[in-house]
Amino acid sequence: MSENKIHIDEYEARWIVISSAVLGVFFASLLLGAVLFNVNPPDSTSTVNPLKLDETIFANPGVRHMGGNQYDVVILAKMWGYTPTEIRLPVGAEATFHVTSLDIIHGFYIEKHNVNFELIPGHVAETRVTFDEVGEWRILCHQYCGRGHQIMHMPLIIEDTDAEAVALDAETGQE
Amino acid sequence: MAIAKPTTEQPVENRPILSYPAAELLSHERFQVGAHLLVAFFALALGIIMGPFQTFRRSPWLQTVSEDLIGQPITTPIFTYYYQALTLHGVLNALVFTTFFIMGISYFVVQRSLQRPLKSTVLLWISFWLMTVGLVLTAWAIVTGQANVLFTFYPPMLAHWAFYAGLVLVIVGTWIGAYNVFRTYLGWRDDNPGERVPLATYGILANFVMWFTASLGVAVEVLTMLLPMSLGMVDTTDPQLARVLFWFFGHPLVYFWLIPAYISWYTMLPKQLGVPLFSDTMARIAFAMIAIFSIPIGVHHLFADPGVSETAKIYHSALTYVVAFPSLLTAFNVAATIERSGRKRGATNLIDWTWKQPWGNPVVAAQFCGMFLFIFGGISGIMNASFNMNQALHNTTWVVGHFHTTLAGAVFLTYISILFWIMPMIRQRKLWRPRWATAHVYTWFFGMLMFAGFMGRGGMAGATRRTDMGAPGAYFSPEIAMWMNWTALSGMILLVSSFLLYAVIFGTLFASEEKATVNAPIQKDTPNEFIPAFLENWRLWAFIIITTNVVMWLPVLINSIDLVNGFWSLGYPGAAR
Repeated sequence: MSENKIHIDEYEARWIVISSAVLGVFFASLLLGAVLFNVNPPDSTSTVNPLKLDETIFANPGVRHMGGNQYDVVILAKMWGYTPTEIRLPVGAEATFHVTSLDIIHGFYIEKHNVNFELIPGHVAETRVTFDEVGEWRILCHQYCGRGHQIMHMPLIIEDTDAEAVALDAETGQE
Repeated sequence: MAIAKPTTEQPVENRPILSYPAAELLSHERFQVGAHLLVAFFALALGIIMGPFQTFRRSPWLQTVSEDLIGQPITTPIFTYYYQALTLHGVLNALVFTTFFIMGISYFVVQRSLQRPLKSTVLLWISFWLMTVGLVLTAWAIVTGQANVLFTFYPPMLAHWAFYAGLVLVIVGTWIGAYNVFRTYLGWRDDNPGERVPLATYGILANFVMWFTASLGVAVEVLTMLLPMSLGMVDTTDPQLARVLFWFFGHPLVYFWLIPAYISWYTMLPKQLGVPLFSDTMARIAFAMIAIFSIPIGVHHLFADPGVSETAKIYHSALTYVVAFPSLLTAFNVAATIERSGRKRGATNLIDWTWKQPWGNPVVAAQFCGMFLFIFGGISGIMNASFNMNQALHNTTWVVGHFHTTLAGAVFLTYISILFWIMPMIRQRKLWRPRWATAHVYTWFFGMLMFAGFMGRGGMAGATRRTDMGAPGAYFSPEIAMWMNWTALSGMILLVSSFLLYAVIFGTLFASEEKATVNAPIQKDTPNEFIPAFLENWRLWAFIIITTNVVMWLPVLINSIDLVNGFWSLGYPGAAR
């Protein structure tokens, strides 16, 4: 015991400062990403009774036009598929997803779109996505849900129709 | 104290200590450690073989070749149902192999570094048999196809009750083992007032403190939710609450595997390289930080859960960065120690110490390779822990790539390094064909590096984990197909590597004839540097651990308990059949 003080080597002290700084920068960039670019994980929002889904929006899953380029997309997951079985939206649509599971835990992952949920029975996963590109992607279940897990996926089709034009039609009642 | 065969040849200073012989194991040590390792490597044999065949099964190219050649798709061996094989792979490798190995090695390290026998041999065997009976119950449920729930067993999917009962027995067994180790330490403490406990034992103690705290979460989940439900005593459950309880346990679980590897890097590797550790105190600080910060960060496994608030996700993300810090301390400390070894072997400039090392020695090379893989494990781990980057990566094969560089990389290779010196001591025969052992280390290293890289790229391209991609109807994009084909190549390398490992094990057990001359690389004394007393103040640790976890987990727990709509999810035993 040389002296009553923790010995920290000079280089080790520098390493500690650098490590802390790097981790600090990483965390700051995360917060910036959340605030500036709105990249957020799902927040805990609403719950439903999985035995009484008939009394909720999940009684009639599907795409709903809410005016403008706004869409509500209600999806119910169950072993082993989603209802509805495909999603079609016009390019430019800003869609709010409301997704839950009827039976066991499923996943909800849109290829190349950073939409990524666990679907827990009793909880509604919600997020808002703007679709700027025409094309077809897959919505996949990415949480193991039994024998048919691998067949649980459906297409998401972004069509080349003007979301705003559809919206104008909707307002004049001529859609 | 009753001891099997004590030798009193080297009394250190004035302490009446019974020193253990360096090159030979006492008969009770051979039985104790040997029994644990035997079960561990028996379980690993079945678990490990499932891995490569899963990569073959997921490769579209290999599936076409297989259809052409034998007229049917490739399946996993013996257990042809993919999810059953996947459950075996996860439970046997990650839960059973690790737990038995850690318990056996912990007993060995504590007895050797404290130079006193365990408090109770009876408790040791009670712990061992509880764990073994637990393993048999769990394995029976999986093997008979009644527990295809993977190693995370999230409800409402349900397994046979024997699966959960077995897991409870394994965990209770580890608690008894931990109690035994702690009593042994307290006995040493009484006999050595004012001394600092050897670093190796310090690490084991920190590991058990963390493990006991963490396993309370899964114990509550299994005993109050899963077991009653699988026995038909209750009909409904709350799956979000179950996930919260599971991941209270799940993240410290990975540190439970990692700390023994760190103990090897900090206390055994310096002996094997013939140099002193760079800083004993900083190693203790790293262990203490891991014990504290590995638990209040588990929400980073729940970033994609709709029942956990974003605030909790941000807090846990921040603390996850804090737990990366002791690993960065370890990186410096161990690298500085390795540099000393290089200098001792004639290195003179900035980088030549990296190759002036005993790279041909399987015991050392395995640890070096493990460390190298862990660099990727650490970086990818920090990426996963970033709550918004996780949006792109969660539950893709990226995550599988990540934990194969940590668990199947750093942890596995370091355990194998330990096996390569402890098995000759137990068997009292030299390691059979050390070159094969070295070949195993390098094939495993390159195979795992490739596997992790390809799985990571596959995940970025959108490949989902835990999916039987070889079954009809599974989704593939061309990009995913390409990366999955590449992982099959790494699977072939890893298959060869596994055979090499078991050839060395069986060779050493049955074919090796030369007498072993290995010394146990256990540090018995503490170096001459100042180590603050608070590092061994376990009351202080308990207080900090309880406080941080109440602050970090209680809001998550309350948030996930939904008294109106919670607890209404029906159980689905059929889903897992």
